[in-house]
Parts: sequence; structure tokens; C-alpha cells
Amino acid sequence: MREVRDQSISRQEIEAVFPKVAQVIADALGCDVEDVKPQVPLIEGLDAESIDFLDLVFRLERSFGVKIPRGKIVEDARGDMSEADFEQQGIVTEAGLARLREFLGEVPADRFKTPMKAADIPRLFTPETFCKVVVRAQRSVAAAA
Amino acid sequence: MDGRFRAFSFVDRITRLDPGHRIEGQYTVPASASRFPPALMAEAVGQLAAWAAMSQLDFTHRPVAGLAGETRYHGAAMPGQTLQLAAFIEQCDQEAIAYGGTASIDGQRVVELVHCVGPMLPMVDFDAPVAVRADFATLLGPGAPSGRFAGVDALLVQTIEHSAGKRLRAELQVPSAAPYFDDHFPRRPVFPGTLLMDSLSALALELASDMPSLRDGRPVVTSVRDVKIRTFTAPGQRLELVADVESSSADVIRMKLAARIAGKTIASARIDVARSH
Repeated sequence: MREVRDQSISRQEIEAVFPKVAQVIADALGCDVEDVKPQVPLIEGLDAESIDFLDLVFRLERSFGVKIPRGKIVEDARGDMSEADFEQQGIVTEAGLARLREFLGEVPADRFKTPMKAADIPRLFTPETFCKVVVRAQRSVAAAA
Repeated sequence: MDGRFRAFSFVDRITRLDPGHRIEGQYTVPASASRFPPALMAEAVGQLAAWAAMSQLDFTHRPVAGLAGETRYHGAAMPGQTLQLAAFIEQCDQEAIAYGGTASIDGQRVVELVHCVGPMLPMVDFDAPVAVRADFATLLGPGAPSGRFAGVDALLVQTIEHSAGKRLRAELQVPSAAPYFDDHFPRRPVFPGTLLMDSLSALALELASDMPSLRDGRPVVTSVRDVKIRTFTAPGQRLELVADVESSSADVIRMKLAARIAGKTIASARIDVARSH
């Protein structure tokens, strides 16, 4: 597994949820779980479409007993940056791209194309991206308890 | 546009609305309907949930067919019978509605929907919001007249491959004109996902009918799982339908279903077929 550059989430945390996340992805996409590698791009590598991401989020919520607001990945990546600073006319700004690179540390640098359409951000997502979503959601549940 | 709010509308009246949580209603299958496919019972529950979602979002968005985790069939609706419908809203916002629901006849549950998700799209692309709002008021008030649905014609399906006990592949010619396109949807005709599932179910039943474990009885669909409608099917499109047997026992035959256009999968599901007792 590639080095985890998002320092707020440990490799152990990701590895703990990965087997279940991989199975959920395999169920949602109708592929073999062996094909769900941590860094495989879900769209280019496993033929995921927008309906699959919706399916995936609801399945992860049920499997892990957490809430994952849709659009959460981009929202979390943007953080305290305003929407206008993050994207302009549908194109991710330089500052926005830097945020994305930092937030999606598991994604190889050469996959961040310039210019990048905001609508193409899901092309970057991998199973590991969703592992991190689950870990963050689990932390929210724990914090609320 | 004679078919609007008639030709493919399966809620006659909304009897209870607890916004964001629960909606109940009823639908009477017209006595004149020659055929009421079981998938249309699921359509009725889905439409009831859609009314809850549309009213919650002030008719700016409407859900379209997307995902259905599981639809369990316990019975069938005959012409003249009244379905008591209920839908339970799990989540609803401008992106999607998540819901479950049931349909019952005389207190007996005939269909259950579990973990269904409908992606939301702008209402103006499909219908006039003001007209939909008026229809909702009708359903909440006096109710719409029953007997509006005139039935659906059998669809033209041609077998192209039949490997007994293993696979059945067929071609479905979606009609270029049909009454239900006026209603589904007035501004953008779309072949209903439930009619597509009905055609795929028919394919599964045909494949099951010559399998040894079901030879002594009439095969019936007991459950349809993991339904995923990936894209809209327009009038006149030609689809390839495929049913593949995944496993078979004395009690149930499990199959994988897919619909494709030019080799691309546009819908998929899993189905359980059992012997009717």
C-alpha cells in the first residue's frame, strides 16, 4: 500500500477498513473483490459511473453504520476555502488543485490534470479515498457519542 | 398529451403524509386491465415515495429510477383489487431520496421494497412543476379517478440465444410510441425502469421454466435484488436482454440480469425464481 500522506489518518486505520470497503465496492460494481486494489481509479479502472458512487455511499453507510453526506469528499477537500477560491466557472483553481493533491494524497501526482474540471474530480477517487471517508465518518460517530 | 397523470400513474390517493418520514396511499388496479405486471406494484410504491420527495423539495426536483436494493414479491394484484401503499423515507435532499415501502391487499403484504435510492433531477426537465403541484393537491384531496391506467401492451422480445439451464439472451424493441410515454414523462419520454425489469423478469421465468428443479410447478419471481438503472432508455431503442443462471437448488434459481445498448450495460439486477405452490 502506498504511503499515506494525509497525516491525520494512519495507515493502520485505512488497512483496518479496507477489506470491508473493498467488498462493498465489489458488490456495488459487480466486480471481483480481487480487482479492487487500494489505488485503482474507480472510474477508469473499474468502470464506475455516477450512479455507482451514489450506490457506494449508501452501501458504505449501511455496512459501517455511519452517515456520509453526498459530496463529502470534495467538501472536506475544500475545507475552509471558499467555493469561489476552490473553483471558478467549473474549473478547479491552482489553490484548489493544491488542496486536492494534499487531501487525496493516495492519488499519484500525474493524475491531477491541469486544467481540471470540478466535474472530473471523481475520476481521481480510489478505494483508498473511500476508506478515508469511512474513517472520518467513524470518527464523527465516535466524537458524537 | 392525453396520457398525462393517467397512463403510467399508480397512486389514486394519498391518505397520510408525515413529511420527511412516511407517506401512505392507495391504488386500485382497473377492473378492465388485462394484465398488471408485479413490477407495477413496486412502481406504485416508488411513485408514492416520489410524491413525498417532490413535495418535500417544493416540486423543484423529482426522483428517477436508480437503485433498488431488494424487491420481495409475496403475491400479485388482480384487476379490481386495491393496493394499500406505504413508503418510509430514510433520506431526502436535492441529490437523492432513499426509501423503503410496501404494498398490501386486504391486509396481506404483496410486495416489499428495501433500500431503494432515486437520484433527483430538475423537475423542469421532465414536467411542468405547477401541474405536478396541482396533481399532488388532487391526490391529497379528493383523489384521482381510478381506472386511468389502460394497461401496457406486450413488448416485442425476440430470442437470440438460448442455452438451456444456463443463459437466455433476447432483443427487446422498445416501442417508439406508447401511451405511457405521455406520462413518463410529459417533457421527456423515458421507457419506465419497471417495465424494463418486467421484461427481464419474463426472460428469467422463461429460462427457469425448462430447468429440472422447477419443471413440476409454475416458476414465480420471489425477489429482485441489486437493481441498478444506469441510464435512460428512449422510445424506439433496441435493447439486448440477458439472463444468466448463477446457482440452482431444489428451492430457488438465482440469475444475473442485464440490459445492454450497443454492448454497454444500462441496467442490471439479480433475481430469484422459485416454484409456485
